[in-house]
Amino acid sequence: MTAPQITPGTPPDGPILSVRNLHLAIAGRRRRTPILRNVSLDIAPGEVHGLVGESGAGKTMIGKVILGIQPSRAVVTGGSVRFGGRDITHLPERERRRLMGRGLGLIPQDPMTSLNPAGRIGGQIADVLRLHLGMDRAAARARALELLNDVHIREPERVLRRYPHELSGGMRQRVLIAIAFACRPKLIVADEPTTALDVTVQRQVLALIKEMQAQDGASILFVTHDLGVVAKTCDRVTVLHGGRVLEAGDTRAIVEAPQHDYTKALMAATPRHDRPGDLLQPVPEALTARLNEEALAYDAGPDTTSASHA
Amino acid sequence: MPEPALLDAAGLRLSLPDHSRKPPFGPAPAVDILHGIDLTLAPGDTLGIVGESGSGKTSLGRTLVRLYRPTAGRLLFDGRDITALPEERLRPLRAGFQMIFQDPQSSLNPRRRVAEIVAQPLHLHGRAANGAEARRQVDALLERVALRPVHGERYPHELSGGERQRVGIARAIALQPRLVVADEIVSGLDVSSQAQILALLRELRRDLGLALLFISHDLSVVRTVCDRVMVMLNGRAVEQGDCASIFAAPKHPYTRRLLNAIPLPDVDPDWVARSAENELGETLTMDVKDSVALVTGANRGVGEAFVQALLDRGAAKVYAAMRSTEGYAPPDGRVQPVALDVTDHAAVAAAAADCGDVTLLVNNAGVNHNQPISADAAQGNARDEMEVNYFGTMEMCRQFGPVLGANGGGAIVNMLSILARVNLPMIGTYCASKAATLSLTQGVRAQLAAQGTLVVAVMPAAINTRMGDMNPPPLEEPGDVAGAALDAVEAGEEDIYPGVVAGGVSQGLAADPKGVEKQFAEYLPG
Repeated sequence: MTAPQITPGTPPDGPILSVRNLHLAIAGRRRRTPILRNVSLDIAPGEVHGLVGESGAGKTMIGKVILGIQPSRAVVTGGSVRFGGRDITHLPERERRRLMGRGLGLIPQDPMTSLNPAGRIGGQIADVLRLHLGMDRAAARARALELLNDVHIREPERVLRRYPHELSGGMRQRVLIAIAFACRPKLIVADEPTTALDVTVQRQVLALIKEMQAQDGASILFVTHDLGVVAKTCDRVTVLHGGRVLEAGDTRAIVEAPQHDYTKALMAATPRHDRPGDLLQPVPEALTARLNEEALAYDAGPDTTSASHA
Repeated sequence: MPEPALLDAAGLRLSLPDHSRKPPFGPAPAVDILHGIDLTLAPGDTLGIVGESGSGKTSLGRTLVRLYRPTAGRLLFDGRDITALPEERLRPLRAGFQMIFQDPQSSLNPRRRVAEIVAQPLHLHGRAANGAEARRQVDALLERVALRPVHGERYPHELSGGERQRVGIARAIALQPRLVVADEIVSGLDVSSQAQILALLRELRRDLGLALLFISHDLSVVRTVCDRVMVMLNGRAVEQGDCASIFAAPKHPYTRRLLNAIPLPDVDPDWVARSAENELGETLTMDVKDSVALVTGANRGVGEAFVQALLDRGAAKVYAAMRSTEGYAPPDGRVQPVALDVTDHAAVAAAAADCGDVTLLVNNAGVNHNQPISADAAQGNARDEMEVNYFGTMEMCRQFGPVLGANGGGAIVNMLSILARVNLPMIGTYCASKAATLSLTQGVRAQLAAQGTLVVAVMPAAINTRMGDMNPPPLEEPGDVAGAALDAVEAGEEDIYPGVVAGGVSQGLAADPKGVEKQFAEYLPG
């Protein structure tokens, strides 16, 4: 592939995660449908990196590829994912499992369905610790208690014995954050971790993620559709549409002076209660159509288009 | 109001059975969801209803379109009382008020095509003579919500989230309603689909003259579609008004909290950390001037001093509560005597209902039987002290907490004693009751922080009143203690020790608690 490259800006210490020219397609009966098109992004140690786009942009898929949990029909057709300098794009299942926990963690989107409904909270945290760190039962329980304390759950002893349905959405998200940080991973993929929550609970959960991140020095790939959340939590940001990176850079630069029309459109679609005169503008259909055309043209051949309209 | 109200709700209450607490046999206990909601909506009006999950906003929406039947209050639609109208008489009216549900995934029948889903209300209400006529209307409705006729042939799962929500809207406007209740209809959508749906709502409102009740947890979104907003907390409206003034100067701390929680797309690396501080460290304060106060035990001693201090500082009204108002002469026109025995829980509930405008509650009533623990063989006096000092205060806080919340947060002043912190064995049972009440005060404070109620514990030493004058001097003057308590309310202080003696003891307790305990132990009876 010789398509023009968008430079994600090289982080100072050498990236913990480096996605290079990643292509991914869903295999259908007759043909493959491209989902990711030449995606590159770097995340430095300790960096919180926002991945922004509408539903269908492919942002969740990037997270899944990094974790190696993409559906079996999704085929990486080009490019690489390097984690800590090691190519993990096509890692076999056994080695992949060794990487989870201590290397990579996940904060999933939906706190309602991401915990086992039939297991107590304590057991579910302890399982992770025993599996990845080889702790014995007592040590795992003690560490689980400590983790619940860390995520500011009141009366952690009681919560350990609870089942997921007995907790509120915010509490469940706290438990999932505890699990994600349990083995002190180097990179956590946070996939829309606050989308299902009220604004007040969202603020608490964001504060918690940042606090845990600062404590452990983990890097975070923060997948979200909300530029407000990005502006408040992320160091750098990558804007995605139709599986293509349209713009990437420091959060301040992107938020204050977006270059790409699409980033500008996303900003205009984000509600601001402090500017009552601005009516929200949906992303213009013409722009969406143009971007879709560009994506198709890109699929057709490297020489027919440019991936970036700054 | 020039036009008659389209929707007029007054004192709307709702209780539902709480199945999580249902005993194995017998009915589930009722839980109160809405505590008296008033709202009116003129034709074409837009009102946003905002609150966190559990605030009762969805229940309110469902009650307003009579999916729930209110337990009390009155609900008029277009001048017609629909509060308790039975379903068969309600059904023809339902065309006039429709609801769009939060989750289109579960509110659209997955086994019906979109066209059938949108046509269903037309058939149910006999608005289409035949299939062709229905289809024609459905196509027009789909176009209205910017869907193409091909979408009509699809099943809900084949649509995107935004498209599904459009189907919900098409179904809701099929019968040309005058009111639509939209319950969190954009909360699952990304910003772009959200902006599209909001633009659509504004358009429909303009073209069809719809009145819109827009329920959301996000004030930012509400501002883009609504003229007025109502903020709900625990089943009550804590603030209501036009968007311009509420967004410019939110009065209730809860409204401020909701606003501050919204991440605006401006870079601010400290915002997240600041939130944690804000949640815990925001100081609540309250102006005594123009407040409406209720003082218990108001006819003598410190209570009387409280009434006077409140009047001096410009309180708008003071309910002077006492066991019997016989022979009580109010010192001022602003004072309203209330006969209230705080140990009579039904009477306390009635007082909370009658004095619905209270913003400052002073729990002053107390008894002291002046006895050591060893003396009270029958425990009668000790129980009396607990009954008045502890349970009386508890019931007052329980019943008036929601009143204060509804009136903007307000404050509670609990008159305790330095003896809540250390036991004076000479009057041991009294001290125990005050210690329990101090603990109670801390619990109340934690519970009511979310609604912005300041809770002050006042812990003076002996006061120069009939109750305190058996103590050795120096005695505090009642007016000084009441004044110090009101100062604390205005400054947002939570625990105060007015006077030299109380201040000294509290410092002693901080430095050497065991030493203070020993010193007080010397005052043994006999």
